[in-house]
Amino acid sequence: MSERILEISNLRTYFFTEAGVVKALDGMSLEVYKGQAVGLVGESGSGKSVTAQSVLRIVPRPGRIVDGSIRFDGEDLLSKSEGDMRKLRGPKMAIVFQDPTTSLNPVYTVEKQLTDILTLHKDLTKEEASKRALALLERVGIPEPEQRLKAYPHELSGGMKQRIAIARALSCEPVLLFADEPTTNLDVTIQAQVLELLKQLQKELNMTMIMITHDMGIIADMTERVTVLYAGKVMEVADTVTLFKSPKHPYTEALMKAVPSVKQTRALEVIPGNIPNLIEPPVGCVFHPRCKYAKDVCMKQEPALEKVTEGHYAACHFWRELKLEGRA
Amino acid sequence: MSAERSKRGASQWAVAWRRFRRNKSGLVGSSIVVFFVLVAVFGPFLSPYPARSYLPLYEGDAGTSPSFKHPFGVEDSGIDVFSETIQSTKNDLYVGLAATIITTLIGVAVGALAGYFKGIVSDVLLGVTQIFFVIPVLLLILLFARVFATFVFHGWGLTLIVLILAFFGWSSIAFIVRGETLKLKEMEFIQAARSLGAGSYRLLFRHIVPNILSPVIVVATLNIAGFILTEVVVSFLGFGDANTSTWGLLLNEGFPFVRTSWWVSVFPGLAVVFCVLGFNLMGDGLSDALNPRLRE
Repeated sequence: MSERILEISNLRTYFFTEAGVVKALDGMSLEVYKGQAVGLVGESGSGKSVTAQSVLRIVPRPGRIVDGSIRFDGEDLLSKSEGDMRKLRGPKMAIVFQDPTTSLNPVYTVEKQLTDILTLHKDLTKEEASKRALALLERVGIPEPEQRLKAYPHELSGGMKQRIAIARALSCEPVLLFADEPTTNLDVTIQAQVLELLKQLQKELNMTMIMITHDMGIIADMTERVTVLYAGKVMEVADTVTLFKSPKHPYTEALMKAVPSVKQTRALEVIPGNIPNLIEPPVGCVFHPRCKYAKDVCMKQEPALEKVTEGHYAACHFWRELKLEGRA
Repeated sequence: MSAERSKRGASQWAVAWRRFRRNKSGLVGSSIVVFFVLVAVFGPFLSPYPARSYLPLYEGDAGTSPSFKHPFGVEDSGIDVFSETIQSTKNDLYVGLAATIITTLIGVAVGALAGYFKGIVSDVLLGVTQIFFVIPVLLLILLFARVFATFVFHGWGLTLIVLILAFFGWSSIAFIVRGETLKLKEMEFIQAARSLGAGSYRLLFRHIVPNILSPVIVVATLNIAGFILTEVVVSFLGFGDANTSTWGLLLNEGFPFVRTSWWVSVFPGLAVVFCVLGFNLMGDGLSDALNPRLRE
């Protein structure tokens, strides 16, 4: 196995709202190796995006990282100054956001959006930056790139905009790329194209990618390892193949059952209830109010993340006993 | 997308201009504004008499009603109202534009900083704005104009008025910019720029402020009219600069004789009405054209 590029341990990111302290991440851990494609999966509000924001140290107020450590490329990110972080954002790590319509600045042309970042981090002249911008557009598969450079975001389709957002994120060749639900706002055919593009770029650039999604299909398609998050805590970690074959956490099983399949004849199983109030999360296992296997102990004692096999961990009291259904 | 599309994409300005051209009242307003600007620029060369000249008195025309020689009539003191109205145009536009430029610069800077960095700047700005909302600013303007003109900045003329108007006038723009900044800084493209290494000042002045220019332009245009009107009031009440031609000064001089020499008040009065109307119509037109929610 190659070197560890990102190591998050026991991360706690809280939002200090007027209603109370929202524990968006509550003891979250993650390990990512160089060149890997890793998935972070969970419902809305499970802390997936906050993980990315925490690593980039762009958690919006009133959020704050209160505890834990983030090591990136051997360096401790949480002790870095804002100025040092700024130098990492872009050339070392970048993020592609969910909604390309709002993630591009409406008053600038595509060219300006790309060259702005290039000239910020690299010692390039305007012409060199423009040339690189053009090359980037070609790289992300935009037709008629010369013309598109002069276009404004509102003149482009959603898929095109997301390609540009990807080009922008890759402009300084980051080592680590977060893709924060990059296809959620695109229609299905475009989704497939954008995912294919990300996969291809990740391979070509030997980039480490963290795919944030709630879609188990994307996880299966894109990633080698998965971390399942729920209410700011890790429920299960495993190789993607292992996770799908033999999930050890009821939440993972429920997520997989909630995905429709072509062959399916039974009704789609939904997970009852909602993600819990993160100001006062449930005592014991955070998932117990929605878990169909929950027993008394689940309401009292929080399960630890236990080792199932090498590289497979689950946070459930009953992972040994439960016969959970996977999806091949 | 057709192949004939212009090479450069439709920037928000091009889109706005296309929309503005279709707006009749906006076009009328901007035509009026253009007319006044032309008068301001070329008027001094074309006006029959120099500024504040009593020459018609010696020609025996003092107090005469409008005629071929004196289209707007003559004041009892002997000032040609036509020449004086023309000569005033550049001064009134100067007050309106200069005060607007100063207030816009201050307002954008203060508003952007207050919106982006919460804390003292924001609190002070809110306080100042609220004070300006509740106190009768005009009284203070009059007071400042009289006190400073007499004691401190003697001889500054209209520039003093500009500075006083600007001092009391920047908070409305600052308030708008602060609100827009608060809204914009939560937007994803700001977070995106931040996630790619942009620092606070870059985010603020290269990503946020350019997105606020539309409302700022609209408010600034309307402010020009407002400042011109306030200057007219100040001069009309006799607190302006008595040595510089302004419409307000003419109104001030004409007021005692309005029953006998109506022309001294009516013509500069019409100039004020049309000038202010022009800027207001133009501002409304711009507001429609630049409103991002009205997509064609």
